[in-house]
Amino acid sequence: MHGNRLYEGQKLALKYFFVAMVLFGAQLLFGLLAAIQFLYPDFLFGVLDFSINRIVHINALVVWLLYAMIGAVYWLLPDEAGREVVGIKLGNLAFYVLTAAVAVVVLVYLFVQVGPGKESTIWFITEGREYIEAPRWADIGIVAVVLIFLYNVYATTMSGRRTGILSVLMADLIALAGLYLAGMFYTDNIAVDQYWWWWVIHLWVEATWEVYVAAVGGYILIKTLNANRKVVEMWLWIEVAMMFGSGILGLGHHYFWIGTPEYWWEIGALFSALEPVPLVGLFVHVLYDWGKHSGQGHKIINVPAFAWLTVETFGNFLGAGVWGFMHTLPQINLYTHGTQWAAAHGHLAFFGAYVTILIGAIYLAIQGKAGLKELKMTKAGWWAIVLITAGMLFMTVALTASAYVQTMVERGMYGATWQGYFAAQANRWFLEGMGWRLAMGVVVIAGYVLLIYDMLTCTKKQPAEAYEGEVAAAAA
Amino acid sequence: MAKVSVWSSNRFWRRSATWVTGVSAVLLILLTFDSMAQMQMGTAKDIKNKVDKRIPSPVVINYKIEYKMSRKRGHEVPIIGGMSPDGKSLYQVKEKFFGRDDYTEAEARALIHKGKLTIQAKNCMDCHTLLGNGAYYAPDLTKAWLDPTWETLAPAYGGKEYAIATFLQNPPAMAMHERKMPNLGITKDEAKAVVAYLKFMSAIDTNGFPRNFGKIKGAVDAWK
Amino acid sequence: MILEPCRDVVCSFWSMLDQGPMTLTITLHTLIVLPMVWIYFDEKKRLERGDVPEE
Repeated sequence: MHGNRLYEGQKLALKYFFVAMVLFGAQLLFGLLAAIQFLYPDFLFGVLDFSINRIVHINALVVWLLYAMIGAVYWLLPDEAGREVVGIKLGNLAFYVLTAAVAVVVLVYLFVQVGPGKESTIWFITEGREYIEAPRWADIGIVAVVLIFLYNVYATTMSGRRTGILSVLMADLIALAGLYLAGMFYTDNIAVDQYWWWWVIHLWVEATWEVYVAAVGGYILIKTLNANRKVVEMWLWIEVAMMFGSGILGLGHHYFWIGTPEYWWEIGALFSALEPVPLVGLFVHVLYDWGKHSGQGHKIINVPAFAWLTVETFGNFLGAGVWGFMHTLPQINLYTHGTQWAAAHGHLAFFGAYVTILIGAIYLAIQGKAGLKELKMTKAGWWAIVLITAGMLFMTVALTASAYVQTMVERGMYGATWQGYFAAQANRWFLEGMGWRLAMGVVVIAGYVLLIYDMLTCTKKQPAEAYEGEVAAAAA
Repeated sequence: MAKVSVWSSNRFWRRSATWVTGVSAVLLILLTFDSMAQMQMGTAKDIKNKVDKRIPSPVVINYKIEYKMSRKRGHEVPIIGGMSPDGKSLYQVKEKFFGRDDYTEAEARALIHKGKLTIQAKNCMDCHTLLGNGAYYAPDLTKAWLDPTWETLAPAYGGKEYAIATFLQNPPAMAMHERKMPNLGITKDEAKAVVAYLKFMSAIDTNGFPRNFGKIKGAVDAWK
Repeated sequence: MILEPCRDVVCSFWSMLDQGPMTLTITLHTLIVLPMVWIYFDEKKRLERGDVPEE
């Protein structure tokens, strides 16, 4: 009967979360296959080649993050606005359409893989553009589904309570959706192609997604620590100013070497060098609130959600901030562009900035669904967060070690030739890094299994007093 | 007068956020207009008039392409059809491409159109990097046309375009490394188009990326 | 001439502002940050008038 106290929008959120976690598993599995191929190139050669495993690895990542992001919005939207989601029937329909489309796209990736060099391939098999390989028909479907989602958000907020968090989300989500259009055309000019491709990729992960995280992070702080809404929203506006201020023109750091004018060197260098600043802000804010809260002797209302949020602030700052800054200046990037540096940065940044906070949001929903006054961390939950976080951190360190070797040998010693590329890839130090990456991948997968187990069972393992205030928690 | 704190005013930060976001977006759009103008693909007329373009006309496949240090810009730049004493492209020295050096603009455009479609249809970017973007499982293709590997293979195949095209149609047969490229069913026509695209791409001005391309032939290699 | 009109392949307004040590990027940063000073004092005036946003 617990579920009956939920808004219909929150029930829809649970569906999105479920698919998100399934796709998370697919992402890890195919990442593992690709990591094995770096060491044993004959593994699955001609059956599931590296390119296919990598497509599924990165597409599952993007899609599950989007699923969890949409889910988190459906979860907090009725709560913030103080009313049921408007147009929820349409929202439900969109969920099933999107999920069916995702399934078809993945099956085509796996079983058709490539097509002839014709327009029809772009429309029905693959667009062959990293991260947004989804064929054009699916792009159009995604746009339709996102329009329904935006309608839900706007109609609900307009007729309900319009909080600062919702105001930021409304502006952010429309930008996030609109940017996808920049990736939906074909051109023979590869420089122009990549120019607009970065509008989608960069302005998602280094601008609109970051602002999304700041907004949802604020909501989690209010829900787990009873943080003061006015202070949370002030920080949110500061972070929006700094994230968009550095992130929008920080796009320039992708325009150093793709046929773009030289002036992007300095625009990209300084703006993107400032990108870590708001991440420090987020970090300080969360730790400050935590200290204040525990200083007043309060208990954390949802420990797993708060723990993942804390990992988020570390991970976002380290992965996106520090690892990004390491190679964002053009004088360094000239040698690191197109090497394992990007892989090292990408792994910790996607994990630290997005995976963590969305897992936290899912734990909030788990507590809400069970109607618990508070949610404590179980043993499995602790092991999951430790294994996944440590695994990702050391995976990044391993990739960074390989990246150093690749940069020094391929770019420094051999002048970036194919011979240099293969010399670097065969270097013993490079391979050791790849070996540790694979080992850490196994650790992360072990953590994932525990995480799923914990998500399914943690509400049954809470101390008795957590159940006492069920009605009060649901009303909050 | 009451002491006020602007720094803790939500409205101040909201207005600042709106301003910063708005002006950044406007600047990005203005910069994009300028960049798009500079990145327009050149035409055969540009080549005839010796006008340098960041992304040249596809008819560059008729010409010899090199990658030389430019003193003015402080990095290497593509040199098309021979170099003048002051380090600029002459657009004169031709080079046969599949036996011809007189591809018209329409022919060359059709070739690179098919080449680009094939590059996308075969998911090249999910193993290789192009202009440095993509995956890191296979070599960068930005200046692949100029890579010394193909110079050494060229004589056995009657020219490097033939060597690359043969490779693309059945890569495992010509594997260069234990990390083989799979057979992606690339046809003869598609292979020719892809090679044309690689040659065209090597003439794109990438602001000196990759640095020192092919200039260093390997020094010490500790712990091979 | 001190200002090199065209440092790049193609001359343009923006590459004219790009005169070496971060001239362009500092210009853009100034353009973005300076008006915030005006927003600050405007907001201060409003707060002193007692115009406090309800939140």
